Amino acid sequence: MSVEEVTQKLESVAVDDNSPKTVLSDSSNFEVKHPLNSKWTLWYTKPAVDKSETWSDLLRPVTSFETVEEFWAIIQNIPEPHELPMKSDYHVFRDNIRPEWEDPANSKGGKWSFHIRSKSSDIDELWLRALLAVIGETIDEDDSQINGVVLSIRKGTSKFALWTKADDNTEALTNVGTKFKQVLKLGDEDKIEFVPHSSTGKYVQATITL
Amino acid sequence: MVRYTVDELFHLKPTESLPVQFDAEEFKAIIEKVKQIQALKEEEFNAHGGHFNRRRSSHHHHGRPKVKHTKPKVTTDSDGWSTFEAANKKVNEDEESENVSVAVVPETLKVKPNNKNISSSRPADNKDIIADKQTHSFNAFAALESDEEEET
Repeated sequence: MSVEEVTQKLESVAVDDNSPKTVLSDSSNFEVKHPLNSKWTLWYTKPAVDKSETWSDLLRPVTSFETVEEFWAIIQNIPEPHELPMKSDYHVFRDNIRPEWEDPANSKGGKWSFHIRSKSSDIDELWLRALLAVIGETIDEDDSQINGVVLSIRKGTSKFALWTKADDNTEALTNVGTKFKQVLKLGDEDKIEFVPHSSTGKYVQATITL
Repeated sequence: MVRYTVDELFHLKPTESLPVQFDAEEFKAIIEKVKQIQALKEEEFNAHGGHFNRRRSSHHHHGRPKVKHTKPKVTTDSDGWSTFEAANKKVNEDEESENVSVAVVPETLKVKPNNKNISSSRPADNKDIIADKQTHSFNAFAALESDEEEET
């Protein structure tokens, strides 16, 4: 169902002036929100400033959202990627999936990833495009292959990663990867790789390259 | 499945900033604090010439340390003879002689006995063997003579 369909449906239900306000009719005092297909959670990985900090100390959920309006409210209130300190990560994951390989929902999956050496303003725009494609589900397949999306801020580079729930559905993964390249505005000369989580950390080997 | 295109999502973006369900100010404060710590660390890193306080390793000498030796003074006279002049050494000799005189100053010396054989039956010194030797053997005739003199 598209946003226009949702809006039309709301308008058809409304019979008088007391109809619920949407973000389209009143951007600050709307009553009805546009639901997303899933609940999503924003996670943040804080860079370690003390050697005693472990990975579990650094990775924390920030907030969750289930509607388009909630999503925009969060985006307007958190720092943009170019404002983040080095070694920070933003993660947006579906439902209650933790952005870790060990999570049962991720254990049999993998990730499409691409490193970008680009201006910070471009990173902000590309991260927003990736988020919109993921929460709007336009990048995903009908059977929902995507678990989440990650942005890693590093010195001189930024890494975008799209996490999937499976690593063996080549056709679906290829479709997702092709759309991911479009979202990141990559050309034919830019190559993205799919790496199953099972091979990460040992001998990293991409199973699909686009 | 509900889908929203990128354009549709942008269309639904509120013009005003809306309240959120978490403490955004605290979140921003944490990020700012981390940035400050990172900036301080980088400043310290640069101040130390691109390395942190590494202790100087014992392997930093790639060869023998340089020791500066003064060159000996050689003078060549009109006949072409070169003479080695150890001018500094003369001064050193004087210093050494002074040192020697200082060393001669009498001191109370503690003599440490050699206790190596102190519990042994063997004498510690060969001289002791001579000293312990019985020098007067018993003369029986002489003893008889002396008895007779006493009786008379």
